[in-house]
Amino acid sequence: MAGWVSPGVEQPIAFPHKTHIALKVPCTGCHQQAEKGSAAGRPPTALCAACHAASDTKDPEIAKLKAYAEKGEEIPWRRVWRLPSHVFFPHRIHVAIAKISCQTCHGPMENLDRPPPRPLKILTMSDCIACHTERKLATDRAAGAKLSKVRAQQLSSDCIVCHR
Amino acid sequence: MALWGMVIDLDRCTGCQACVMACKAENNIPAVGMKEAHKERVISWMQVLTETGEDQHGAKMRFIPRPCLQCDDPPCTKVCPVYATYRNPEGIVAQIYARCIGCRFCMAACPYNAKYFNWHTYQKEAPGQNPDVSLREKGVVEKCTFCHHRLQRARERASAEKREFDPAEYVPACAEACPAQAIVFGDLSDPASEVAKLAHSPRAFRLLEELGTKPKVFYLTEGEAGG
Ligand code: SF4
Ligand code: SF4
Repeated sequence: MAGWVSPGVEQPIAFPHKTHIALKVPCTGCHQQAEKGSAAGRPPTALCAACHAASDTKDPEIAKLKAYAEKGEEIPWRRVWRLPSHVFFPHRIHVAIAKISCQTCHGPMENLDRPPPRPLKILTMSDCIACHTERKLATDRAAGAKLSKVRAQQLSSDCIVCHR
Repeated sequence: MALWGMVIDLDRCTGCQACVMACKAENNIPAVGMKEAHKERVISWMQVLTETGEDQHGAKMRFIPRPCLQCDDPPCTKVCPVYATYRNPEGIVAQIYARCIGCRFCMAACPYNAKYFNWHTYQKEAPGQNPDVSLREKGVVEKCTFCHHRLQRARERASAEKREFDPAEYVPACAEACPAQAIVFGDLSDPASEVAKLAHSPRAFRLLEELGTKPKVFYLTEGEAGG
Protein backbone atom coordinates (compact mmCIF):
# COMPACT_ATOMS: atom_id res chain seq x y z
CA MET A 1 0.00 0.00 0.00
CA ALA A 2 3.09 2.16 -0.09
CA GLY A 3 1.68 3.91 -3.14
CA TRP A 4 -0.77 5.93 -1.08
CA VAL A 5 1.71 7.48 1.28
CA SER A 6 5.02 7.69 -0.54
CA PRO A 7 5.77 10.69 -2.76
CA GLY A 8 6.03 8.29 -5.68
CA VAL A 9 8.79 6.44 -7.38
CA GLU A 10 11.06 8.21 -9.85
CA GLN A 11 12.73 6.10 -12.48
CA PRO A 12 16.18 6.73 -13.96
CA ILE A 13 14.71 6.77 -17.47
CA ALA A 14 11.26 8.05 -18.48
CA PHE A 15 10.27 4.77 -20.10
CA PRO A 16 7.04 5.03 -22.14
CA HIS A 17 5.08 1.78 -22.11
CA LYS A 18 2.67 3.26 -24.65
CA THR A 19 5.29 3.70 -27.40
CA HIS A 20 6.48 0.14 -27.02
CA ILE A 21 3.03 -1.42 -26.97
CA ALA A 22 2.15 0.67 -30.05
CA LEU A 23 5.06 -1.03 -31.80
CA LYS A 24 3.35 -4.35 -31.02
CA VAL A 25 5.90 -5.49 -28.46
CA PRO A 26 3.99 -7.73 -26.05
CA CYS A 27 4.49 -7.23 -22.28
CA THR A 28 6.36 -10.51 -22.08
CA GLY A 29 8.63 -9.40 -24.91
CA CYS A 30 10.57 -7.40 -22.34
CA HIS A 31 9.33 -8.83 -19.03
CA GLN A 32 10.40 -12.29 -20.11
CA GLN A 33 10.71 -13.74 -16.63
CA ALA A 34 6.97 -13.34 -16.08
CA GLU A 35 6.39 -16.47 -18.13
CA LYS A 36 9.23 -18.42 -16.59
CA GLY A 37 9.53 -17.66 -12.92
CA SER A 38 7.81 -16.37 -9.83
CA ALA A 39 9.09 -12.82 -10.12
CA ALA A 40 8.46 -10.94 -13.35
CA GLY A 41 11.73 -9.08 -12.93
CA ARG A 42 13.05 -6.25 -15.03
CA PRO A 43 14.38 -6.61 -18.53
CA PRO A 44 18.17 -6.69 -18.72
CA THR A 45 19.77 -3.62 -20.30
CA ALA A 46 21.21 -5.79 -23.05
CA LEU A 47 17.67 -6.57 -24.18
CA CYS A 48 16.81 -2.87 -24.48
CA ALA A 49 20.10 -2.20 -26.20
CA ALA A 50 19.55 -4.95 -28.74
CA CYS A 51 16.45 -3.21 -30.13
CA HIS A 52 17.79 0.29 -29.66
CA ALA A 53 21.14 -0.32 -31.37
CA ALA A 54 20.18 1.81 -34.33
CA SER A 55 17.84 4.26 -32.67
CA ASP A 56 18.11 7.99 -32.51
CA THR A 57 20.44 9.18 -29.75
CA LYS A 58 19.08 12.71 -29.93
CA ASP A 59 16.29 11.60 -27.66
CA PRO A 60 17.70 12.27 -24.18
CA GLU A 61 16.00 9.22 -22.68
CA ILE A 62 17.39 6.87 -25.32
CA ALA A 63 20.77 8.50 -24.82
CA LYS A 64 20.58 7.57 -21.14
CA LEU A 65 19.80 4.00 -22.07
CA LYS A 66 22.74 3.88 -24.43
CA ALA A 67 25.03 5.30 -21.76
CA TYR A 68 24.06 2.49 -19.39
CA ALA A 69 24.49 -0.08 -22.12
CA GLU A 70 27.93 1.23 -23.09
CA LYS A 71 29.10 1.13 -19.49
CA GLY A 72 27.74 -2.40 -19.29
CA GLU A 73 25.57 -1.40 -16.35
CA GLU A 74 22.06 -2.43 -15.50
CA ILE A 75 19.58 0.42 -15.39
CA PRO A 76 18.79 1.05 -11.70
CA TRP A 77 15.02 0.77 -12.11
CA ARG A 78 13.17 1.27 -8.89
CA ARG A 79 10.48 -1.06 -7.77
CA VAL A 80 6.92 0.24 -7.93
CA TRP A 81 4.92 -2.88 -7.30
CA ARG A 82 5.56 -4.75 -4.09
CA LEU A 83 3.43 -7.42 -2.50
CA PRO A 84 3.59 -7.87 1.25
CA SER A 85 6.30 -10.39 2.13
CA HIS A 86 3.79 -12.93 3.42
CA VAL A 87 2.13 -13.26 0.03
CA PHE A 88 3.52 -15.70 -2.50
CA PHE A 89 2.50 -14.82 -6.01
CA PRO A 90 4.05 -16.81 -8.85
CA HIS A 91 3.85 -14.94 -12.14
CA ARG A 92 4.43 -18.05 -14.25
CA ILE A 93 1.24 -19.80 -13.30
CA HIS A 94 -0.88 -16.68 -13.78
CA VAL A 95 0.73 -15.54 -17.02
CA ALA A 96 1.79 -18.68 -18.86
CA ILE A 97 -0.72 -21.21 -17.58
CA ALA A 98 -3.86 -19.33 -16.59
CA LYS A 99 -3.24 -16.75 -19.34
CA ILE A 100 -4.52 -13.82 -17.33
CA SER A 101 -3.78 -10.51 -18.98
CA CYS A 102 -1.18 -8.40 -17.19
CA GLN A 103 -3.62 -5.50 -17.01
CA THR A 104 -5.92 -7.50 -14.76
CA CYS A 105 -3.59 -6.76 -11.87
CA HIS A 106 -1.35 -4.00 -13.19
CA GLY A 107 -4.00 -1.75 -14.73
CA PRO A 108 -3.86 -0.05 -18.15
CA MET A 109 -0.05 0.18 -18.40
CA GLU A 110 -0.31 0.41 -22.19
CA ASN A 111 -1.60 3.98 -21.93
CA LEU A 112 1.39 5.32 -20.04
CA ASP A 113 3.78 7.64 -21.79
CA ARG A 114 5.99 7.88 -18.70
CA PRO A 115 6.68 5.56 -15.77
CA PRO A 116 3.95 5.43 -13.14
CA PRO A 117 5.03 6.89 -9.80
CA ARG A 118 2.82 4.38 -8.03
CA PRO A 119 0.89 1.24 -8.96
CA LEU A 120 -2.11 1.89 -11.17
CA LYS A 121 -4.13 -0.55 -9.16
CA ILE A 122 -4.00 -1.40 -5.49
CA LEU A 123 -4.97 -5.00 -4.98
CA THR A 124 -6.33 -6.47 -1.81
CA MET A 125 -6.83 -10.09 -0.86
CA SER A 126 -10.50 -9.83 -1.84
CA ASP A 127 -9.43 -9.16 -5.43
CA CYS A 128 -7.38 -12.38 -5.51
CA ILE A 129 -10.15 -14.39 -3.87
CA ALA A 130 -12.84 -12.95 -6.14
CA CYS A 131 -10.89 -13.97 -9.24
CA HIS A 132 -10.09 -17.43 -7.91
CA THR A 133 -13.71 -18.06 -6.98
CA GLU A 134 -15.09 -16.79 -10.26
CA ARG A 135 -12.62 -18.71 -12.41
CA LYS A 136 -13.11 -21.86 -10.39
CA LEU A 137 -16.84 -21.71 -10.99
CA ALA A 138 -16.31 -21.08 -14.69
CA THR A 139 -13.81 -23.92 -15.04
CA ASP A 140 -16.07 -26.25 -13.07
CA ARG A 141 -18.95 -25.49 -15.41
CA ALA A 142 -16.84 -25.88 -18.52
CA ALA A 143 -15.09 -29.07 -17.54
CA GLY A 144 -17.99 -30.65 -15.72
CA ALA A 145 -16.85 -33.69 -13.81
CA LYS A 146 -13.68 -33.89 -15.84
CA LEU A 147 -11.89 -31.03 -14.08
CA SER A 148 -8.50 -32.44 -13.26
CA LYS A 149 -7.28 -32.56 -9.69
CA VAL A 150 -4.41 -30.28 -10.59
CA ARG A 151 -6.57 -27.49 -11.91
CA ALA A 152 -9.03 -27.76 -9.05
CA GLN A 153 -6.26 -27.42 -6.52
CA GLN A 154 -4.63 -24.50 -8.27
CA LEU A 155 -7.80 -22.48 -8.38
CA SER A 156 -8.47 -23.13 -4.76
CA SER A 157 -8.76 -20.43 -2.16
CA ASP A 158 -6.87 -22.50 0.38
CA CYS A 159 -4.93 -20.02 2.58
CA ILE A 160 -1.70 -22.01 2.51
CA VAL A 161 -1.43 -21.73 -1.26
CA CYS A 162 -0.47 -18.04 -1.05
CA HIS A 163 0.57 -17.70 2.59
CA ARG A 164 3.34 -20.11 3.42
CA MET B 1 -8.41 -35.47 -3.22
CA ALA B 2 -5.12 -36.80 -2.03
CA LEU B 3 -4.46 -37.44 1.65
CA TRP B 4 -0.77 -36.90 2.27
CA GLY B 5 0.93 -39.09 4.83
CA MET B 6 4.24 -40.45 5.96
CA VAL B 7 5.59 -43.72 7.27
CA ILE B 8 8.80 -43.76 9.30
CA ASP B 9 10.54 -47.10 9.74
CA LEU B 10 12.19 -47.12 13.18
CA ASP B 11 14.18 -50.18 12.16
CA ARG B 12 15.92 -48.12 9.51
CA CYS B 13 16.38 -44.84 11.38
CA THR B 14 19.92 -44.51 12.67
CA GLY B 15 19.34 -41.24 14.47
CA CYS B 16 21.72 -39.40 12.17
CA GLN B 17 19.61 -36.20 12.13
CA ALA B 18 19.92 -35.68 8.37
CA CYS B 19 16.15 -35.12 8.26
CA VAL B 20 16.42 -32.47 10.97
CA MET B 21 19.08 -30.54 9.10
CA ALA B 22 17.38 -30.91 5.73
CA CYS B 23 14.19 -29.54 7.25
CA LYS B 24 16.01 -26.57 8.77
CA ALA B 25 17.62 -25.66 5.48
CA GLU B 26 14.44 -26.15 3.46
CA ASN B 27 12.12 -24.20 5.72
CA ASN B 28 14.36 -21.30 6.80
CA ILE B 29 14.29 -22.46 10.39
CA PRO B 30 16.26 -20.03 12.52
CA ALA B 31 19.13 -20.89 14.81
CA VAL B 32 17.96 -19.26 18.03
CA GLY B 33 21.34 -19.07 19.78
CA MET B 34 22.69 -20.44 23.03
CA LYS B 35 20.84 -18.11 25.40
CA GLU B 36 17.48 -18.90 23.84
CA ALA B 37 18.30 -22.59 23.69
CA HIS B 38 18.83 -22.62 27.46
CA LYS B 39 15.30 -21.29 27.75
CA GLU B 40 14.11 -24.26 25.70
CA ARG B 41 13.18 -22.09 22.74
CA VAL B 42 14.92 -24.14 20.08
CA ILE B 43 12.89 -24.42 16.89
CA SER B 44 13.07 -27.72 15.06
CA TRP B 45 10.06 -28.77 13.03
CA MET B 46 11.58 -32.21 12.68
CA GLN B 47 13.09 -33.58 15.82
CA VAL B 48 14.65 -36.96 16.55
CA LEU B 49 13.30 -38.02 19.93
CA THR B 50 15.41 -40.54 21.77
CA GLU B 51 14.28 -43.23 24.14
CA THR B 52 16.65 -45.39 26.12
CA GLY B 53 15.71 -49.04 26.45
CA GLU B 54 15.29 -49.84 30.14
CA ASP B 55 15.68 -53.57 29.83
CA GLN B 56 19.08 -53.23 28.15
CA HIS B 57 20.44 -51.01 30.95
CA GLY B 58 20.56 -48.05 28.64
CA ALA B 59 22.56 -49.97 26.09
CA LYS B 60 19.95 -49.52 23.38
CA MET B 61 18.57 -46.27 22.05
CA ARG B 62 15.39 -45.85 20.13
CA PHE B 63 15.20 -42.96 17.69
CA ILE B 64 11.85 -41.48 16.81
CA PRO B 65 11.90 -38.76 14.15
CA ARG B 66 8.95 -36.50 14.89
CA PRO B 67 7.64 -33.92 12.40
CA CYS B 68 4.18 -32.44 12.89
CA LEU B 69 2.11 -35.59 12.67
CA GLN B 70 -0.48 -33.82 10.52
CA CYS B 71 -3.30 -35.21 12.65
CA ASP B 72 -6.41 -35.92 10.62
CA ASP B 73 -8.43 -34.80 13.62
CA PRO B 74 -6.05 -32.14 14.89
CA PRO B 75 -6.59 -30.76 18.38
CA CYS B 76 -4.42 -27.72 17.59
CA THR B 77 -6.71 -26.26 14.94
CA LYS B 78 -9.82 -26.47 17.07
CA VAL B 79 -8.54 -24.04 19.67
CA CYS B 80 -7.26 -21.33 17.34
CA PRO B 81 -9.43 -18.26 17.85
CA VAL B 82 -8.51 -16.70 14.50
CA TYR B 83 -8.44 -19.64 12.07
CA ALA B 84 -4.70 -19.26 11.59
CA THR B 85 -4.18 -23.01 11.70
CA TYR B 86 -6.52 -25.41 9.95
CA ARG B 87 -6.64 -28.74 8.17
CA ASN B 88 -6.60 -28.18 4.42
CA PRO B 89 -8.64 -30.33 1.98
CA GLU B 90 -5.67 -32.63 1.41
CA GLY B 91 -5.13 -33.23 5.09
CA ILE B 92 -2.17 -30.92 5.58
CA VAL B 93 -2.42 -28.94 8.80
CA ALA B 94 -1.54 -25.44 7.72
CA GLN B 95 -0.22 -22.53 9.69
CA ILE B 96 -0.81 -19.02 8.37
CA TYR B 97 1.80 -16.78 9.95
CA ALA B 98 0.29 -13.51 8.83
CA ARG B 99 -2.90 -14.45 10.61
CA CYS B 100 -1.53 -15.91 13.83
CA ILE B 101 -1.88 -13.65 16.87
CA GLY B 102 0.58 -15.66 18.94
CA CYS B 103 -1.80 -16.72 21.68
CA ARG B 104 -0.18 -20.17 21.71
CA PHE B 105 -3.43 -22.01 22.43
CA CYS B 106 -2.54 -24.42 19.65
CA MET B 107 0.82 -25.18 21.24
CA ALA B 108 -0.94 -26.09 24.44
CA ALA B 109 -3.37 -28.27 22.52
CA CYS B 110 -0.79 -30.23 20.51
CA PRO B 111 -0.04 -33.43 22.37
CA TYR B 112 3.18 -33.93 20.40
CA ASN B 113 4.91 -30.59 21.04
CA ALA B 114 5.13 -30.08 17.32
CA LYS B 115 4.54 -26.33 17.35
CA TYR B 116 7.09 -23.65 18.07
CA PHE B 117 6.80 -20.03 19.14
CA ASN B 118 8.98 -17.22 17.83
CA TRP B 119 10.02 -15.33 20.93
CA HIS B 120 12.00 -12.91 18.78
CA THR B 121 12.45 -12.09 15.14
CA TYR B 122 15.28 -14.54 14.79
CA GLN B 123 16.30 -13.88 11.22
CA LYS B 124 16.48 -11.31 8.48
CA GLU B 125 16.32 -11.91 4.77
CA ALA B 126 19.70 -13.16 3.59
CA PRO B 127 21.16 -15.10 0.69
CA GLY B 128 20.80 -18.83 0.99
CA GLN B 129 17.29 -18.80 2.36
CA ASN B 130 14.58 -20.67 0.55
CA PRO B 131 12.52 -18.05 -1.31
CA ASP B 132 9.52 -20.41 -1.34
CA VAL B 133 9.09 -20.21 2.42
CA SER B 134 8.50 -17.03 4.39
CA LEU B 135 10.57 -15.93 7.36
CA ARG B 136 8.59 -15.93 10.53
CA GLU B 137 8.41 -12.86 12.67
CA LYS B 138 8.36 -12.42 16.40
CA GLY B 139 5.14 -13.53 18.02
CA VAL B 140 3.88 -16.24 15.69
CA VAL B 141 3.72 -19.99 15.97
CA GLU B 142 5.28 -22.19 13.31
CA LYS B 143 5.30 -25.88 12.45
CA CYS B 144 6.02 -28.48 9.82
CA THR B 145 3.76 -28.28 6.77
CA PHE B 146 4.96 -31.45 5.00
CA CYS B 147 6.94 -29.00 2.81
CA HIS B 148 3.67 -27.90 1.24
CA HIS B 149 5.54 -25.46 -1.03
CA ARG B 150 7.13 -28.47 -2.71
CA LEU B 151 3.68 -29.79 -3.56
CA GLN B 152 2.82 -26.49 -5.16
CA ARG B 153 6.05 -26.38 -7.08
CA ALA B 154 5.48 -29.90 -8.39
CA ARG B 155 1.93 -29.05 -9.43
CA GLU B 156 3.05 -25.88 -11.12
CA ARG B 157 5.74 -27.73 -13.04
CA ALA B 158 3.22 -30.36 -14.15
CA SER B 159 0.77 -27.80 -15.48
CA ALA B 160 3.54 -25.83 -17.19
CA GLU B 161 4.45 -29.06 -18.97
CA LYS B 162 0.75 -29.71 -19.70
CA ARG B 163 0.50 -33.05 -17.94
CA GLU B 164 -1.15 -34.48 -14.84
CA PHE B 165 0.85 -34.19 -11.65
CA ASP B 166 2.32 -37.43 -10.37
CA PRO B 167 2.25 -37.80 -6.55
CA ALA B 168 5.78 -39.23 -6.72
CA GLU B 169 7.04 -35.75 -7.61
CA TYR B 170 6.14 -34.45 -4.17
CA VAL B 171 8.61 -35.45 -1.48
CA PRO B 172 9.28 -33.42 1.68
CA ALA B 173 12.88 -32.44 2.42
CA CYS B 174 13.24 -34.86 5.36
CA ALA B 175 12.18 -37.89 3.34
CA GLU B 176 14.43 -36.87 0.50
CA ALA B 177 17.45 -36.44 2.79
CA CYS B 178 17.17 -39.62 4.86
CA PRO B 179 20.21 -41.72 3.94
CA ALA B 180 18.64 -44.86 5.43
CA GLN B 181 15.44 -44.31 3.44
CA ALA B 182 13.49 -44.62 6.66
CA ILE B 183 10.90 -42.06 5.61
CA VAL B 184 8.32 -42.97 2.99
CA PHE B 185 5.95 -40.27 1.81
CA GLY B 186 2.88 -40.36 -0.39
CA ASP B 187 -0.86 -40.38 -0.83
CA LEU B 188 -2.63 -42.41 1.87
CA SER B 189 -5.89 -42.32 -0.05
CA ASP B 190 -4.38 -44.37 -2.88
CA PRO B 191 -4.39 -48.02 -1.69
CA ALA B 192 -1.73 -48.89 -4.27
CA SER B 193 0.78 -46.38 -2.92
CA GLU B 194 3.71 -47.63 -0.88
CA VAL B 195 2.85 -45.33 1.99
CA ALA B 196 -0.71 -46.68 2.21
CA LYS B 197 0.52 -50.27 2.13
CA LEU B 198 3.08 -49.65 4.86
CA ALA B 199 0.53 -47.79 6.97
CA HIS B 200 -1.54 -50.97 6.99
CA SER B 201 1.40 -53.22 7.85
CA PRO B 202 1.14 -55.11 11.15
CA ARG B 203 4.22 -53.21 12.32
CA ALA B 204 2.51 -49.85 11.93
CA PHE B 205 1.54 -47.75 14.93
CA ARG B 206 0.92 -44.09 15.65
CA LEU B 207 2.04 -41.92 18.53
CA LEU B 208 -0.52 -41.57 21.33
CA GLU B 209 -3.10 -43.27 19.16
CA GLU B 210 -5.51 -43.47 22.09
CA LEU B 211 -6.04 -39.70 21.95
CA GLY B 212 -7.96 -40.02 18.70
CA THR B 213 -5.91 -37.39 16.88
CA LYS B 214 -5.49 -39.75 13.90
CA PRO B 215 -1.94 -38.75 12.95
CA LYS B 216 -1.04 -39.18 9.29
CA VAL B 217 2.53 -39.98 10.27
CA PHE B 218 2.84 -43.69 10.95
CA TYR B 219 5.76 -45.53 12.52
CA LEU B 220 6.92 -49.07 11.91
CA THR B 221 8.11 -50.78 15.10
CA GLU B 222 11.52 -52.32 15.38
CA GLY B 223 11.61 -55.98 14.42
CA GLU B 224 12.34 -58.91 16.70
CA ALA B 225 16.08 -58.56 16.21
CA GLY B 226 15.94 -55.26 18.01
CA GLY B 227 14.41 -57.02 21.01
S1 SF4 C 1 -0.86 -19.18 18.43
FE1 SF4 C 1 -1.59 -18.51 16.40
S2 SF4 C 1 -2.17 -20.43 15.33
FE2 SF4 C 1 -1.96 -20.92 17.52
S3 SF4 C 1 -4.03 -20.76 18.34
FE3 SF4 C 1 -3.05 -18.74 18.67
S4 SF4 C 1 -3.54 -17.54 16.83
FE4 SF4 C 1 -4.03 -19.68 16.34
S1 SF4 D 1 0.94 -33.01 15.64
FE1 SF4 D 1 0.35 -31.22 16.85
S2 SF4 D 1 0.65 -29.51 15.47
FE2 SF4 D 1 0.61 -31.32 14.19
S3 SF4 D 1 -1.56 -31.52 13.57
FE3 SF4 D 1 -1.28 -32.77 15.40
S4 SF4 D 1 -1.90 -31.43 17.08
FE4 SF4 D 1 -1.51 -30.10 15.31
